[in-house]
Amino acid sequence: MANEQQGAAPGRVIAGGESLHRWGMVIDIDLCTGCQACVIACQAENNIPINVEDYFVKHRVNQWIRIERYWEGEFPNVKARFIPVLCQHCGNAPCEPVCPVYATQHSTEGLNVQTYNRCVGTRYCGNNCPYTVRVFNWDAPQWPESLHAQLNPDVTVRTQGLIEKCSMCVHRINRAKREESRNGRPMADGDLQPACAQSCPTSAIIFGDWKDQNSRISRLAKGTRAYHMLEELGTEPTIVYLKKVDPNLSQHEATVSHKTAYRPLPVING
Amino acid sequence: MGLNLRRVLIVASIPGSLFAIAIFITLVAPRLLANTWHPAPKEPIAFDHSVHVQQVGLDCTFCHRNTATGGAIGGMTAGIPDVQQCMFCHSAVATSSVGAPGFKMDSAQAQAEIDKVRHAWQQQRAIDWERVHRLPDHVRFTHEPHIQAGFDCATCHGDVGSVGQVVQVRSLNMGDCVGCHRANAALTECATCHK
Ligand code: HEC
Ligand code: HEC
Ligand code: HEC
Ligand code: HEC
Ligand code: HEC
Repeated sequence: MANEQQGAAPGRVIAGGESLHRWGMVIDIDLCTGCQACVIACQAENNIPINVEDYFVKHRVNQWIRIERYWEGEFPNVKARFIPVLCQHCGNAPCEPVCPVYATQHSTEGLNVQTYNRCVGTRYCGNNCPYTVRVFNWDAPQWPESLHAQLNPDVTVRTQGLIEKCSMCVHRINRAKREESRNGRPMADGDLQPACAQSCPTSAIIFGDWKDQNSRISRLAKGTRAYHMLEELGTEPTIVYLKKVDPNLSQHEATVSHKTAYRPLPVING
Repeated sequence: MGLNLRRVLIVASIPGSLFAIAIFITLVAPRLLANTWHPAPKEPIAFDHSVHVQQVGLDCTFCHRNTATGGAIGGMTAGIPDVQQCMFCHSAVATSSVGAPGFKMDSAQAQAEIDKVRHAWQQQRAIDWERVHRLPDHVRFTHEPHIQAGFDCATCHGDVGSVGQVVQVRSLNMGDCVGCHRANAALTECATCHK
């Protein structure tokens, strides 16, 4: 009991309430092939039950990241466009103030975290989310016997009747920070990846730290292709998309047809 | 009239007090109980910490290997030693020193317990230890940061080295965790402990 009160100096002090990191992502639409590897990886990593046909019919699919598919042009000159959509971890999140029990909060590292054991399933947050990335789990989670041993112990299995969502693999972040202080060496950009980014065969999803000015995401977001999804809502997402490079579109067309979406980014506040 | 009123009151007080008892049982009692910890379970083998820590002089991390390092894969559990590790000694060690001060069992009893360990080894079977501490599934706890921060095992587990059977001595509920985290300027965000 001696060092009950003193303890040793904690490893990561949050200087003046400011944390050292602000996690984020860049998603390059031009590289996305719509292969769904990220969806499956997320499913396996985060103990999301298997979406059976019935769920699709009932519009109750449980996916924390989904691939939205758009068709452009008339047959036979059609092009498929894919956009991976996941929780944008908004800096000004519409879901957070509406929770009556404070189950969803903003972490000091810029993540929108859902405390499942606190959630009572009012679904206000889901209704207020412009990206519809919060999922209400209508059914008790079930897996076939053969998959029981593959459940990830770092992620809790959510009980029926609450809202679940992308955590940006916060368990991996926590673990990486642990390793950081064990090894006494700060993690390098790219050492840490959420499941979706790790599984992406074309590396369309890039994870990193906005506070690191030299991280890949910080550099990519400075380019002209960068935009925030539904920028006009002022949700200040932490995820930046890079628009499609289309050789058939003239520069003029590109700016006109996607005026709102492709507006240049405001400076991301560190 | 007066008598009637009294009767009415008496009759009404019966369902009233039943209601109060029901409220107590459903709402208040679980809360009171929630702050207490589970009784020690019955272990399959009467493993005695005091024998191994005090008499044999083993270090806690000799057996609970992942506490300080988080284990090879940075896992979450402190780790209970496998049978092979017991057999390290118990292929030879029987009950020679029983009767010496510090040994609580008589030799036949101790021999029977050690035989259980040997039996498990012969059958290549793990010992089904019952857990004493168990946090709910939605809580993330790792020993490593706490050991790194300089706490010793006794801070949370009491003086395990001198007890026969391990019992939980500290509530380790959320208020307990957060209280110490506040006192030490450690993280108190939900995502620190909840997953
Ligand atoms: C470093 C050597 C060592 C290891 C490892 C070890 N033991 Fe022992 N154990 C002893 C000694 C020495 C005694 C005392 C034997 C005697 O009576 O002389 C003992 C006694 C016991 C007893 C008898 C209880 C008593 O009160 O006397 C049991 C049961 C036991 N050990 C179980 C285990 C189990 C289970 C493990 C594995 C988790 C284990 N031991 C690992 C050295 C060891
Ligand atoms: C010889 C190996 C050995 C040594 C040395 C040892 N333990 Fe254990 N420990 C065990 C075994 C086996 C169990 C499981 C049986 C039980 O719960 O009693 C256990 C259980 C425990 C538990 C309860 C785990 C639960 O189920 O929640 C705690 C706490 C614990 N040990 C702490 C310690 C501490 C502290 C020390 C050092 C003072 C220590 N142990 C030294 C083998 C050992
Ligand atoms: C900050 C408090 C704290 C300290 C210090 C601490 N423990 Fe624990 N210990 C816990 C809690 C809480 C659990 C329950 C973990 C769970 O249920 O996931 C636990 C569980 C255990 C268990 C059994 C479950 C498991 O994780 O395998 C063992 C064995 C154990 N501790 C040993 C130790 C030893 C040995 C030390 C010293 C090196 C130690 N503990 C120091 C809080 C602590
Ligand atoms: C006796 C004081 C004490 C108690 C009790 C305690 N902690 Fe801690 N804990 C600390 C300190 C100090 C740190 C900071 C270590 C550091 O930052 O290196 C810490 C760090 C942690 C971390 C690591 C945070 C990170 O990401 O690095 C987790 C998780 C944690 N505690 C969970 C718990 C849980 C769950 C409980 C209750 C079962 C608990 N702690 C009880 C003192 C305590
Ligand atoms: C330092 C670690 C720690 C932090 C930080 C923490 N919790 Fe907890 N919480 C726990 C532990 C441990 C339990 C389990 C207590 C038990 O069951 O004995 C718990 C239990 C709970 C429960 C009860 C769940 C149930 O089903 O009984 C709720 C609700 C909860 N926490 C919400 C929160 C919220 C919201 C936050 C953020 C504001 C938070 N917690 C932060 C450690 C923590």
